[in-house]
Amino acid sequence: MLRLDQVSVRFGGLMALKDVSFELKGGEILGLVGPNGAGKTTLFNVISGLTRARGRTLFNDKDISALPLHKRARVGIGRTFQIPQPMKHLTVRENLTVAQVFGAGRNDPARIDEILDVMQLSEQADRDAQSGLALQELKRLEIAKALATEPKLLLLDEVLAGLESQAKRQFTGKLKELHARFGLTIVIVEHDIETISDLCSRAVVLNFGQLIADGTPAEVFRNPLVVESYTGTPHA
Amino acid sequence: MAASSSSSRPQMGRNAGLVLGVLVLAALPLVLGASNYLLGLFISALILAGISLAWALLGNLGGMVSFGHAAFFGVGAYASALISARLGVPVLLAIPLAGLCAALCSLAMLPALRLSGPYFALAILAYAQIFRILATEATWLTGGAAGLQRYPGLPTIFGFDLSTRTGSYVLLVLLVALCALAYVAIRRSHVGTALRAIAESEDATRVVGVNSVMLKAWMLLLSAFMTGLFGALNAHIIGFLDPDYAFSGVWSVMPIIAAIFGGYRTILGPVAGAILIYMFDQVVAKSLIAVGHQILLGILLAVMILVAPNGVLGLFKRAKGGNRHAEA
Repeated sequence: MLRLDQVSVRFGGLMALKDVSFELKGGEILGLVGPNGAGKTTLFNVISGLTRARGRTLFNDKDISALPLHKRARVGIGRTFQIPQPMKHLTVRENLTVAQVFGAGRNDPARIDEILDVMQLSEQADRDAQSGLALQELKRLEIAKALATEPKLLLLDEVLAGLESQAKRQFTGKLKELHARFGLTIVIVEHDIETISDLCSRAVVLNFGQLIADGTPAEVFRNPLVVESYTGTPHA
Repeated sequence: MAASSSSSRPQMGRNAGLVLGVLVLAALPLVLGASNYLLGLFISALILAGISLAWALLGNLGGMVSFGHAAFFGVGAYASALISARLGVPVLLAIPLAGLCAALCSLAMLPALRLSGPYFALAILAYAQIFRILATEATWLTGGAAGLQRYPGLPTIFGFDLSTRTGSYVLLVLLVALCALAYVAIRRSHVGTALRAIAESEDATRVVGVNSVMLKAWMLLLSAFMTGLFGALNAHIIGFLDPDYAFSGVWSVMPIIAAIFGGYRTILGPVAGAILIYMFDQVVAKSLIAVGHQILLGILLAVMILVAPNGVLGLFKRAKGGNRHAEA
């Protein structure tokens, strides 16, 4: 479904991503792991079109490297932001409607109601998205907006961050439900090893903009390079 | 696109408010009857109201702050005068054509849409200056600094002389109402909803598939068109044009003051703001300070921003315990 081929991004003197290549199959849930500043969000920005990169990004065998941000949503790439970015001055329902009309190219209120229900936002539907929601609700709205665009690939940037362990488990269950219900392929940025192990069939690890490991979560978290990247010391 | 789903009762209330506002404005000449002086003031206020509405449309739907609406106003004025005088086109046809000319001129501003905030504002300010210089230097077309005088005034249709104060006033009320209705229609569409979001959350809207640059470009074209219409109408009402008047900074600054004073996030706000501000300036401020009376406008605006950042209509909403986001 998604193929990154020698993707590199430079910000001035900083190499944020260096020759990153990997493939993602349809239906996979991939964990994207790495220390802070490793390039995870930059990689999301490249895939979603927010940041231009060298190298190629292929989606369903089509080169989308030059495709602008708004068109990436229309080909089926949805994403969330680490810090929730609701569309300000709009209600929760209006947020989803805009996403559906422009991202999926249709206006289907029943589908919006379904998404609101799945994401437990029905009661908040007419609240102001900027000021009327708690952090957890904002995170659910981020996902709901992305779902309204009817994505094939969903990029989730630290949607579980800041949640307590029980809430995290519930949210993980919700992500599994979304994966099955909407037939999604998911890439999730997450630091928690337990969550990645529970949710993902595969994980890739970035460090200093380079891909240093790719495999099952168990394989990846045993990898000495990964341990070193987190602890700063070579694996014993 | 279809209307977005909001509750219909508040919308009906807002519609009623808009219709009532237009009816009150339209009835004023009958009430004020023979007072040509007051009608003249209202005509100028409505010209300002039209530009304020166009300015607010750009600011509210797309988040673009323009310091250059004088360019669209001046181009509309000159285009209508020249089209009617040189090509013999009927004035009532020349006015919308002049609006199109202003919209066409705004195409040159499209690269500036990639800028935001003060950078966009400065780019459009520079653009307005370029058109003022062009109007001054292109003597063969515009008459240069000497200006234009010999072009047709407003015509008589069905026995109703539009060149009279009453005729011009009624025409302006209709035009302001039409522009307001166009604004309402856009605002209530999905495009309008997306544009409201673009103003403060551009990345969040683009990432869900909204082509923000394209939508902002349409709003710039429409705002320029509307401003050009009022520039054209004003040209035929006053019967004289020169670059210093037609491209004066007043046509850029006063709409901003009026829209913010009235409440630029609303639709009636810029219209109410323009009438209140213009009347205050001409009737109250001028009688207090004959020269430099605009200083009172500055003070009034500063007080309004501090006390009621959502403008006069926002103040009313607050007094009524209205919602967070006034939408008259």
